[in-house]
Amino acid sequence: MTQTISYPDVVQLAVPLFIAAILIELLWIALRGRGGRYETRDAVTSLIMGAGNVAAGILLGFIAWGFFMWLWALTPLDLGTSVGVVVLCFVLDDLRYYWVHRFGHRIRWVWASHVNHHSSQHYNLTTALRQTWTGTFTFMMIVRAPLILLGFHPAMVLFVGGLNLIYQFWIHTEAITRLPRWFEAVMNTPSHHRVHHGRNARYLDANYAGVFIIWDKMFGTFVPELDSEKPDYGLVQNLGTFNPVRVAFHEWIGLVRDAVQPGLTLRQRLGYAFGPPGYSHDGSRDTSEGIKAKHLERNPQDAGTPGFSG
Amino acid sequence: MPLWLLLILVVGGIGGITLLLHLSGKSQRVVMSVEDARTAWHRHFPDDLIEDALLSHDGHAALVSTSQGPGLVWAFGADTVARHLRDFDMIDAKGRLNFMFHDYTAPRVSVVLTDPERRKWKAWMQTP
Repeated sequence: MTQTISYPDVVQLAVPLFIAAILIELLWIALRGRGGRYETRDAVTSLIMGAGNVAAGILLGFIAWGFFMWLWALTPLDLGTSVGVVVLCFVLDDLRYYWVHRFGHRIRWVWASHVNHHSSQHYNLTTALRQTWTGTFTFMMIVRAPLILLGFHPAMVLFVGGLNLIYQFWIHTEAITRLPRWFEAVMNTPSHHRVHHGRNARYLDANYAGVFIIWDKMFGTFVPELDSEKPDYGLVQNLGTFNPVRVAFHEWIGLVRDAVQPGLTLRQRLGYAFGPPGYSHDGSRDTSEGIKAKHLERNPQDAGTPGFSG
Repeated sequence: MPLWLLLILVVGGIGGITLLLHLSGKSQRVVMSVEDARTAWHRHFPDDLIEDALLSHDGHAALVSTSQGPGLVWAFGADTVARHLRDFDMIDAKGRLNFMFHDYTAPRVSVVLTDPERRKWKAWMQTP
């Protein structure tokens, strides 16, 4: 069984590309007068979140790595390291990403980690770097277990995961409107991902894809970007702070405060921790379904249109 | 990549982009009109009916009277944030009103107001 293989840390190697691409996007917006918006403190917060994510990976990465190597020791399967296996691993890991991402929007415990990525009211390349510091604590590493048990080496799984993250960097832009139809049909694109970052009722809980948009089409979560409705970026309740610590931990704090309040049943406490974001025991808050239903009450003509057809 | 090189890239990248954005005028806060404040409120709370809005002289904040009670909408960089005035403390400081929300996601808002404005805002908030 393959024990000692190594792949480059592609995310770290891509840091100079990230910086260069941000500068190019800034220049593009300045020259064209369109294609996105930047704001200093928003961008700085996003960049610090990105740096913190790398630091968290360095400090806590051993937990996931230890788990993966434990699984690797258990499995009798070893698919090797051929190019075909790496490609297959990339595709299956993207399917894994789709589901982790979907959980990240439908389970508050995971949303508490992922929410910070959606906390900017801007959508530019710095938003791509607004990444979690607390991903380890969601235990979503478990969703990678089947890949390793199937015989994909943990180093390969992390390598393709890094490539997946790098792919997703460039789609966080308004500078690219639409790409050729065949590309939009198969791949995740800036247009598809703008929808994902929209706080419009229409666009909530849509387009979870990492690299291949086909997963959303297969599992019924695809919503196209409508020219008639520009995505409004950010959270349903936007943050009033640029403080990266508050950005990183606010939902965890909210979750704990909700779950430990007096007078709740165990089921209600679990609802606050593992129910969908917006769950409340007394109905005082709205989940995404509630937000969509209220939107349709105000705008019945939208019923049956993309994002409201379910 | 060696850690020292990664650190230089990250610190240099953040510093350089910050400087570039600031020098190119991207640090300015949005200035609202009364209509902008109403639109901003509806963007945050689409179910609310807005009864009236009172804008600060610099256009960086507005008190909004709604069907769900009074609220504050304020400039947050180039964008806006809004909260209902429910669970908060207000400190009347010289030349400004400080709103201390009991909300980890929006802890403090400082609104610059003239003396007559401060009196008017306080009276507004006390109106049932």
